Amino acid sequence: MSVSRTPVRTPAVPGPAAPARRPRRRPWSRWAAYLLLVPAVGAIALGLGYPLVRQFVLSFQEYGLAQQFGRPAEWVGLDNYVALLTDPYVWGVIGRSLLFCAVNAGLTVAIGMSLAVLMARVGRAARITLQVGMLLAWGTPVLATLTVWQWLFDSQYGVINWLLAEPLGMEGMRYHSWLIEPTSFYLVATVIVVWMSVPFVVFTVYAGLLQVPAETMEAAQLDGAGAWQRFWRITVPMIKPVLFVVILLQVIWDLRVFTQIYVLQRAGAPTRDTHLLGTYIYSLAEEFSMAGAMATIMLVLTLVVTAFYIRRMLRAEEL
Amino acid sequence: MKSVRKSGVAASLVGVLALAACSGGGGTASPEAEGDDTSGETEAAEIRLWINGGDTPQDLRDYLVSTFEDENPGSTLVIEEQDWNGLVPRLQTALASESQTPDVVEIGNTQAPTFTYAGAFRPLDGLYEELGGDDLLEGFVQAGTADDTVYAVPYYSGARAVFYRKDLFEAAGLEVPTTLAEFTETAIAMQEANPNGTENFSGFWFPGQDWYNGTAWVYSHGGDLAVQEGDQWVGALSAPEAQEGLAEVQRLFTEATNAPVDADSNEPWVPFNNGEAAMFSAPTWARWSIDLPECNKGVDPEDTSEEATALRAEQQACNEEKTGIFALPGMTEGEVATVFAGGSNIAIPAKSQHPELAESLLRIIFSEEYQTMLASNGLIPGNSTYASAMGDDVYATTAVAAALDAKLTPAAENWAAVEGERLLEDFFQQVAAGADIAEAAATTDQLIADTLN
Repeated sequence: MSVSRTPVRTPAVPGPAAPARRPRRRPWSRWAAYLLLVPAVGAIALGLGYPLVRQFVLSFQEYGLAQQFGRPAEWVGLDNYVALLTDPYVWGVIGRSLLFCAVNAGLTVAIGMSLAVLMARVGRAARITLQVGMLLAWGTPVLATLTVWQWLFDSQYGVINWLLAEPLGMEGMRYHSWLIEPTSFYLVATVIVVWMSVPFVVFTVYAGLLQVPAETMEAAQLDGAGAWQRFWRITVPMIKPVLFVVILLQVIWDLRVFTQIYVLQRAGAPTRDTHLLGTYIYSLAEEFSMAGAMATIMLVLTLVVTAFYIRRMLRAEEL
Repeated sequence: MKSVRKSGVAASLVGVLALAACSGGGGTASPEAEGDDTSGETEAAEIRLWINGGDTPQDLRDYLVSTFEDENPGSTLVIEEQDWNGLVPRLQTALASESQTPDVVEIGNTQAPTFTYAGAFRPLDGLYEELGGDDLLEGFVQAGTADDTVYAVPYYSGARAVFYRKDLFEAAGLEVPTTLAEFTETAIAMQEANPNGTENFSGFWFPGQDWYNGTAWVYSHGGDLAVQEGDQWVGALSAPEAQEGLAEVQRLFTEATNAPVDADSNEPWVPFNNGEAAMFSAPTWARWSIDLPECNKGVDPEDTSEEATALRAEQQACNEEKTGIFALPGMTEGEVATVFAGGSNIAIPAKSQHPELAESLLRIIFSEEYQTMLASNGLIPGNSTYASAMGDDVYATTAVAAALDAKLTPAAENWAAVEGERLLEDFFQQVAAGADIAEAAATTDQLIADTLN
């Protein structure tokens, strides 16, 4: 994610033989611009376009394992969508996913912002400690981290239960099962997901904070603005574009969270009661057409949830 | 300057957004493309065999490679070990592609029907008699048969048996149970006795998601997981026989175990080795995982010196002296319970580019030598004639006794989906958590029926 990369722009230097006010573009330069787009567009079309089209087509067919081995696929129109959208269970999964996404994205951004502000204020040693800690959390492979978290929360041998029972004297928590109730399952999942995504927010927002000019802050301070006012009235508006990107990405990531939920489910949670969109689609994988339909529904959902941000973002560009 | 930065943000945003929104889905292994250098008249080629997990020992693999290469000069065999976890999606993608498919593939017995019906395998009719015919394990052949054609044949089977601590039984004054009902009483009495005063002690290690063991009570009481009625499958957990078995299961969960409700059947020997359980049920090869602290000599398992080998043998002997094994008893005395049959099938994928070589490999696998090797490693071989090679120690005889009556999961086309959705893990977990059995069974029956039909 590069926040401050400047896009390639066509040079607007007027030619020596062009007295007109607007620079006259030579025809080849326009083609060259399009030509430069080809690699990017080609990669996206191949890497994303093909699976997307395929998923879309599949969602209108009956396509399972037998079809994959050569049986012809039948067109079923909207049957897959109707079957999914009339199932109250599916709505439950959608509701849970939206809630999980809102809570996680909210917590991640709030904690990340606080830490970024902290990082900008503390001394060098503390800042480096924070940065190294963050980088380690961010850099550890997902599955390795999950194994550790799983051990921490293990109901029989886990450290968390031990800590609660031994030093804190909560004997009832000695063999507490964290994953068996959906609510406490999501609590554990939230801790893990937030822990893993906070570093990204911290670094991005911290980079944004460094761009806020010190003179402006000083001027505001001289004009009598308190620390709280300076933060909300000056810092936040100035790093708004960064915040938007961060929030948008968090919403998308937390809506399609998969690995953490999948691994935790296998660590002993009731599977059906804890599905979120990602794992639910995966569980439908026996029937590709159904999974395709559900994935399409999820894509639409993602676009709807993020439409507001995208519009803001595009408007900001026009300014 | 400011607007430049903003549009930079927006530009990179569009790309990231597209990536973030659309890249989803399960990861699949990417097996390297097959070496297609099929030159020469004998059609020599490299073929690939997929073996799952570590159940096939290394010397058996070496035997397959060298024998295959001797019998098919110029050709080579590559054995690729796959993980049992996530095997189904991996097979879904690999078997459907001519360039990625292995030439011979091992598949879990409960997963076999799904792929057999889907047309993923090559018919073995011509080869069936030669591989062993009616001597092949019957339930496994059924799992690999669709429309009277055999597509997948049994590779090995392993039934579950109960391991127990002899010293704890003695201290509690208990005997090895002879009926299924007695087993429950023994387990409960054991837990109450708790001779060593161990904290969180279990008479019988029975974690909540352990449907592999729980199924034994359903089967032994005459019940089933699902049955076929006409051309429809219906869940059978609500049937009275199954309910009887499940009531017993719930009693064990509540009174005879302190195993976590949120644990599965993996590594049951860990609490056993810790002295936290007096009994656990697992395939008989679990004997190699028993490692009681009082027997442990602290030798490095990698150390191959003579001294270390001797110490390890001593350690194993000590473990086996303190540990006993029995087949889960049946409804009446002298009978053996109908337990869940674990094991796998083996088949030639329909898209294999070298079916003749693959058939040659199957002949080697079903040869007397190889079947005997499987048996002497504690696995019940696909061809039951050679089961006698398992020896006559208590582990072998118990394994064979337990396997005689063992039963597979229903041979339904979509059974793999039931496992994929973990319906039975969820169900047994509900039973373990004290749910109303009839209610939970009715809900799960409906889910099973929805999935199978």
